[in-house]
Order: sequence, then structure tokens, then C-alpha cells
Amino acid sequence: MREAGVGATLASAPVAERALAPMHVAHLGLVPYARALDLQRAVARARISGDIAQDVLLLLEHPPVVTLGRSSKAKNLVASPAMLAARGVELFEAERGGDVTFHGRGQLVGYPIVNLREHRQDLHWYLRQLEEALIRALRTIGIASERSEGRTGVWTDGRKIASIGVHARDWVTWHGFALNVSTDLSYFDLMVPCGLAGVRMTSVAKELGPSAPELASVEDIVAESFGEVFSRAPTMLAPDSLSEMLVHA
Amino acid sequence: MATKVTMEALSPTMEEGRLVKWLKAEGDAIAKGDVLAEVETDKAVMELVARGAGVLRARLAAEGDTRPVGELLAVIAEKDENIDAILKKAPAPAVPASSAPSAPSAPSASSASSASSTVVPQPTASTPPSHPNGGGRARSSPLARRLASSRGLDLGTLQGTGPGGRIIRLDIDAAASTELSGAPTAAAARTAAPVMRAAGDSEDIPLTQIRKTIARRLAESNGPIPTFFLTADFDLTSVRELRAQMIAMGDEFKVSYNDILIKAIATALSQHPEVNAHWLGDSIRRHHRVHLGMAVAVDDGLITPIIADADTKRISEIARESRELAKRARERKLAPEEYTGATCTVSNLGMFGIDEFTAIINPPEVAIFAGGAGGDVPVVLDGTLAVRTRVRITMSCDHRAVDGAMGARFMQTLRRLIENPLMLVF
Repeated sequence: MREAGVGATLASAPVAERALAPMHVAHLGLVPYARALDLQRAVARARISGDIAQDVLLLLEHPPVVTLGRSSKAKNLVASPAMLAARGVELFEAERGGDVTFHGRGQLVGYPIVNLREHRQDLHWYLRQLEEALIRALRTIGIASERSEGRTGVWTDGRKIASIGVHARDWVTWHGFALNVSTDLSYFDLMVPCGLAGVRMTSVAKELGPSAPELASVEDIVAESFGEVFSRAPTMLAPDSLSEMLVHA
Repeated sequence: MATKVTMEALSPTMEEGRLVKWLKAEGDAIAKGDVLAEVETDKAVMELVARGAGVLRARLAAEGDTRPVGELLAVIAEKDENIDAILKKAPAPAVPASSAPSAPSAPSASSASSASSTVVPQPTASTPPSHPNGGGRARSSPLARRLASSRGLDLGTLQGTGPGGRIIRLDIDAAASTELSGAPTAAAARTAAPVMRAAGDSEDIPLTQIRKTIARRLAESNGPIPTFFLTADFDLTSVRELRAQMIAMGDEFKVSYNDILIKAIATALSQHPEVNAHWLGDSIRRHHRVHLGMAVAVDDGLITPIIADADTKRISEIARESRELAKRARERKLAPEEYTGATCTVSNLGMFGIDEFTAIINPPEVAIFAGGAGGDVPVVLDGTLAVRTRVRITMSCDHRAVDGAMGARFMQTLRRLIENPLMLVF
């Protein structure tokens, strides 16, 4: 399934036409939040030092976890830590921007480690580009989505389908976006998502019903649109090669 | 040598940032590259990284504080270094960077690290220049001299840390790094050359953030944007009658000419998405909703609050909203979402007696409308001289997106609406 997607990606990228710099895309599967955080920081450090010369996009899923961004207000977490534990949900405080959010199976999490010095030193621009990549990917899937002025994220018909929160050091980013593909949306009842009262969450599966694509194909589509928006050629990177790059870094 | 830590711009348009977390405490030892704090804008957090080593001597903002870009947030220095001079120059909390010294001593006083030149005006403006090198020629390495000249630094103001107090590359780096973040630089300060002049001859007004943004944005506009202008006279006779009738009924809605023009322009924009558009460099984004920016003069510049969905609002709503927005704009109480995201903009200088003018496009918008003063003028109608109330409106068009005929067609639609204001009511 994944191979087919990558084949299609390569076929549709006429390399000779325009030599775009490559962007490593690593499909990591299910990764616990803490481990993913360590990995992101390691990749970011290597990106800052120049040991990794290209932008990297980590694509993965997390086991159920609630994370609090830097702007989190306690009242936006409705559930007590005990209630979270009872549902098997971990709780983390993360250094990203934004308020509280949930990650879990069926949600495509993307952590772009991008050196903005090679794009634009503008975090607002970066946030808008992330939105653009997701909007384009959703359009390919058949979902019309849009931005909502002053509310970073991607929305479809007033419902939030993807959340965004980023962090940067020396203009190298980590953290990123979370796109609900087939997420169990009831988890969002444990909190006020993003600190925005009255926000309804949705997912690709909820919008499209039985015809919704699987997470794996959504990953490929997102990688593709990400490359398009950031003018990079997505090239698949096996998790092993990623570890290897970090060992040598 | 002390290193200033200032609020950094996380994006070119950012004017202030919120310090969300301190990662170092006062008294902590700091190595170059250490993460001191985190600053947030929108949903992005950026780390503030130490550009010099020493001890974190002072933290000048609390977690949760919002500070203007360029403002001093912390000082890193040696444990026993005297940092009083730097702290004294730190702005009082929550006061945006503004006044700067114009005293002849300005270049030497702190040009090496004028991160935020907000100086409390001192009665003794002629503070003796604090040349660490005693005013004599500073000893320096050739590399340091070259770097200093390329970065616009005055060697005389630097304290060398090399052998025998020699200024070396590291000193230049440290001095240059304290000048990052867009604050007035040594080069800028140096232009205030120590020439003889009497106080009161002139007044140096430092650039405020809003002034810098206006300058940069509008230069950006009139430079690369190929602009042309379309001017037309619009007959306000019907609008005047409409207003006269409303006033006769008690002027319940307090609708002004300007409110009616805003409604007319918004309505025309809804019919001409090619004008209600943004130029994105590699594409043109046509907007289906009309969010009309309305230029409002404020004390230190202008700001364009937005009437969202202006085409679908009743004129009385526009009147109420525009009054409210203008009032809050002058009080500087607008939330960012109230002045960002306009699809097109209207400016009006009629109240200043300006007959007509051309306004500068606010990119990425592709047009702007400039309204002059309406008034009675003699016109020839069917071969007879008559007096009509007219207003002149000039449309500035970004030719990359709007062509002459396209703009002219827009003006035709606008004429139809303004001259038949009943169209705006239904």
C-alpha cells in the first residue's frame, strides 16, 4: 500500500524539469509522545548544526495523549489527570505554541523539522504554509477546508479538522500539525480543544464516511502537498536511516 | 562584556511578542547558545537564545508579559560587572520604545549595544562619552577592524578582551549580536554626528514600530507594485436626497456619506471578485467575502480596521461599526483580527478638504479607493449649466492583477450604485 503511494509520488515528480532540494519524509508509525519529542529535538539539533542538511518531515501516530502547549490554561483541560489515566491517556506539557490538544490513533501527526533560514524567517508565514499544505492535501482527498482568521488550524465548514502548534530555535522548527483522519473524536470531550470554547472537531472519516482513505494514503498525500508548498521534493527516508543520520550527527 | 537580550521579531510584521516562559533564573550561569526564554506569537513559540556568555543578571519581563520587538528583556554580564547603565536605559515596564536621545554624545554612549535606545531624557544630556579605551585609538586585530567596519561598529566604543585589552573578533561578534532584532543600530546612531547645533533647531523623532511598518510596507508597495490610477466623478445628488430624507425623519441611523460610499464600494467588490483579490506572487486569490479595510488616522500613523462582510451589512450597521472601529483604533484597542485580513481598503481624506488623491495599495491587496471631499460643483447637463453634488474617487490598481478595463468596469458598477443608492438598500 505504502509502496504504491511512493511509486506514484516519484512518477509525478519530473525531477529533470525542476531540481527541487529533497526533503526527507520519515513514516514512523505509532510512536509514544515522549519518544517522538526526543527524536524531534535530536533531528532539530542536527538540523541546526548542519549535520542534517535537508528539511525533515516526521509522520507518525501517537498513542492517546493530551498535551498542553505554552498558552494552556488549566480550565481548558476539563478532565482530571485521574480521568485521563482511566481512559489510558497520558498527559504532557509541551514547549509548542498553542493551548491544549489531543493526539491518538487515527490522527496523522506531522513534525516538520524545517530550517526557516532557507525559506523565510517568518513564523507567521510558516504557520500559514502548514495550513496551506493541509488544505491542499484535504482538497486532494475531496474535502474543502479553509483557514479561520485569527484561529490557526484548518477548518472545514466551521469544524476543526487539523491543529497546529510549532516551536523554533535558531529558525529551525519542531512540533507541527495533527490531522484527524479517523481519530476517535470523543477524546476531545476531555478538554476545550485549543482553548477555543465551542469548537467542534471533525475528521476525514467523519466528513467522508465509508469512502474515506486510510491513514497511510493520507500520509503520502500530505507529504506530497507539503513538498509542493515548501518547494521541496519529498523523498522517503526509512526510520533506520534516520537513526543512522542522528548517530553520525 | 554585557549582552542585552531583547524581544525578537518572529515575523517581519510582528510588533510585539509574549514572553511565555523563562528557562533561566537570575543568577544562573549562561553559556552562549543557552535557551533563556520562550516567546510566543499566534501558535508558534520561538526560543530566545543567549548570544553571549556570563551570568543572567536581570530579567526585565515576567512570564505572560507582552513586549514590543526590540525591547530589553534581560541582561547577561559578568558576575560583578556594573550593569546599572544598561538597566537605567531599560524602558519602564509596558512603555513602548519611543524617545531616543538626540544629544551629540549619542554615538559614543552606547552605540556598541544600543539594543533599545529608549533613554530617559536626562537633564545632563552631555553625559561624557564613556569610551572604554579612554578615547584613544583602540588596539584591535586586523580581522576585528575589518569586521567592525563591515558591520558599522565603532571600535572606540568596544572593550577588548584580547591580550592587553586588544579588540578581537569575539568582541565584534558579541557587540554585533546585541544589535540584532531590528533595534536602532550603531550605524543609525552614528548619523547623529556631533555637529554644533542649537537645541530646538530640530527634533529627532525615532521611528515607532507602526512608522517602521508603514514605511516598509508602503515602500514595498510603491516599488515593485506597478500601480495605475483611475479617477472619476460620482454624482451624489441621490445620496444627498436620501440623507436629507433620513435626517428629516430624525436621523435615527446617523449614516454619513462615507458610510454610504463604503457600502457602495463593498457591494461593487462583491460583484467584481477580480478586484476583491490578493496578489500572492504566484497566484491571485479572489475573495468571495468582502472584508473592507477602512483607513483611520491615529496619533502616530494610520491603521485600517476591517468591516467584515461589509457587502452584506446594512448601511446603518456599517455606520455603527465604522464609528466604533475608528474610535477603538484611536484608542489603540483593536484586536489583531480586527485589522488584519482585509480583502480591499478604502481611504477618505474628504474631511480634510482634500478634493482628490491617490492612495497607496496595501499589499497583498490589489486595489485601494481614495475618496475626496464631496461638494457642489457646476456641471453641464444636457447643454445646460447646473449645480450638482459630486465626489471624486480614485481607484489605485495593481496592474499585475487588475487591468485598465477591468478597473474601469468596476468604476462603472460603482457609479451605478452610488448614483442609484436605492440599489444599496435592497
